[in-house]
Amino acid sequence: MFDFFNQSEVIKTIVVLGSMALFFVGLFGLLTRKHIIRIFMSIAIMESSVFLLFIGLSFKSDFIAPIIDKTHKNIAIMNDPIPQAMILTAIVIAMAVLALGVSFAIEYYKLTGRTDIDEMKSLRY
Amino acid sequence: MSSVLFVALPLLFGFATPLLSRLGKDAVAYASVAMQLFLLCLSFYLLESVSLHVEIISIAPPLGISFVLNSVSLLFVTVFIFLTTLFSFYCLSHRETGSYENETKFLILLNMLLASSAGLVLSSDIFNIYVFFEIAGISAYILSAYRKTPSALEAGLKYLLTGAVASVFLVFAIVLIYLNIGSLNLAVIAQSFEALPFNVKLLISILLFIGFGFKVEIFPLNFWVTDVYQGSSSLVNALFSGIVAKAYLFVFFHIVYLFLPDGDFSAFLIYLGAVSMLVAEIAGLKQTNLKRLFAYSSLGQVALIFTAFALQNEDAVQGALFIVIAHSFAKLIIFLVLAFIEKEYESIHIDILKELNAPFLRAVLLIAMLSLLGIPLFAGFVGKLLVLKSLAVSGMLGVLVMIVIASLFEAVYYFKLAGYMFSKGERRGALHVGFIQKSVFALLVILLIVIGVAPFILSGFLGEASRVMLDSANYITVILGG
Repeated sequence: MFDFFNQSEVIKTIVVLGSMALFFVGLFGLLTRKHIIRIFMSIAIMESSVFLLFIGLSFKSDFIAPIIDKTHKNIAIMNDPIPQAMILTAIVIAMAVLALGVSFAIEYYKLTGRTDIDEMKSLRY
Repeated sequence: MSSVLFVALPLLFGFATPLLSRLGKDAVAYASVAMQLFLLCLSFYLLESVSLHVEIISIAPPLGISFVLNSVSLLFVTVFIFLTTLFSFYCLSHRETGSYENETKFLILLNMLLASSAGLVLSSDIFNIYVFFEIAGISAYILSAYRKTPSALEAGLKYLLTGAVASVFLVFAIVLIYLNIGSLNLAVIAQSFEALPFNVKLLISILLFIGFGFKVEIFPLNFWVTDVYQGSSSLVNALFSGIVAKAYLFVFFHIVYLFLPDGDFSAFLIYLGAVSMLVAEIAGLKQTNLKRLFAYSSLGQVALIFTAFALQNEDAVQGALFIVIAHSFAKLIIFLVLAFIEKEYESIHIDILKELNAPFLRAVLLIAMLSLLGIPLFAGFVGKLLVLKSLAVSGMLGVLVMIVIASLFEAVYYFKLAGYMFSKGERRGALHVGFIQKSVFALLVILLIVIGVAPFILSGFLGEASRVMLDSANYITVILGG
């Protein structure tokens, strides 16, 4: 019964639709939420959707892990390692930025007691 | 080997600080200045000696990463290092009065900013560009929130939020590029970009535009800029306006020239730049906070550079490079003077200029503003003239009129400021400007005047740089080895 889902076209469609749905969930959150932590969560959701899209579309289920050792030397049946390396880097960077953002938000909350971005208007005129 | 040094040395400095700080309190600061001076000498040496101005560091081009040092990237790197070095000298003289805390961290961030801006300009691999984009971003966010006051943290948060959103779109664009082309190298992408289906090209262009649009401070994605400038300290603003914005501008147009050489997109970018300048200058009119006012002025100038780059012809690009230099120098002067005023008078309201009792600072500020305005005999004039000329030649009179009107608005608020500075009234006690600070200001002012009086010193080199920047075909052959 699940063979249908095991075809690469179906998997790709699911990946594309799913990650795009996730992207728009994140975008919706970014545009509508007011709490600073929720905004950071929305950005994290958008980032994950892009990462998922990339990994999902570049991963081939019948290929093997790109590790060259004594038994596996055939590069032609290996998955492309670049997307995975790229996304690992991007995840680390995104996490670092979000952690920095949350630390700013905490400091800001300690000083002013505010978490709503609509209230962050001390810098106007 | 040398182009790696521009990125590696400032980063190594960061890692070496724990060791350096054991040598004594001042060791870190002096080591930082020494390193920047070394890089400055290196870049001047390269300007003189590398005849073709092309140097590539890479592991087998399409696979590995590569740095391209040609005359235009060298120009930007030299400007960045020059500004950072002067900034460091200024800070060295500032610290004797104990004005900013936790100097070691500040210097690490400053050098990180330098390394990432140089990396942005030099890199020819789009994923590396993303990494440097983020490093520059992270150091800028921290510098922005550095003072940890509510307004500084608010500025840092706003900067970080927009930066994070921009990076999502940039990663999305890179992902689509890799899925469609299978390479991250700018030259390889440039070769196959034209052949992509129209929808994919459009989507990638839009995503890249949103990703970089936040960072190059273009309307309507620049709503955050003035808040950030107002909340951050003036010292840091000098870096944002002089270095960070310029690095992003260069990368954005570098990518535009490579991917869309025939300029499908350029009419849109030209009008956007002009509208952006007009909006910024009109909004600048009613500002009473000096930092915010000069933030609007920065937006206007950046938009002018944006328009000039978008024109994609040699004269305009040369004009843009002139404005890049003139604007960076002038804004360094202005924000350092503002930092001085803010420290001494503890106010940054426009009225403080009436009470400013330091003839030297007033003169320096006036010259910087005249140069920004594009008055003849100052550096800003040459660039603006070239841009307006090439607008007239290419028949874009609408854009020309918009830019002239925007300049008029700019003139209104600069002359208002000049009027405030030289108005008669009660002044505060005289300010003492230190020797090093005076020499930094004097050097920058002299450069502004020299470039304005004798633009031919630079025009040969800038002409070559603009040709190199526009010549995408040559860039591709250089990287891929013909």
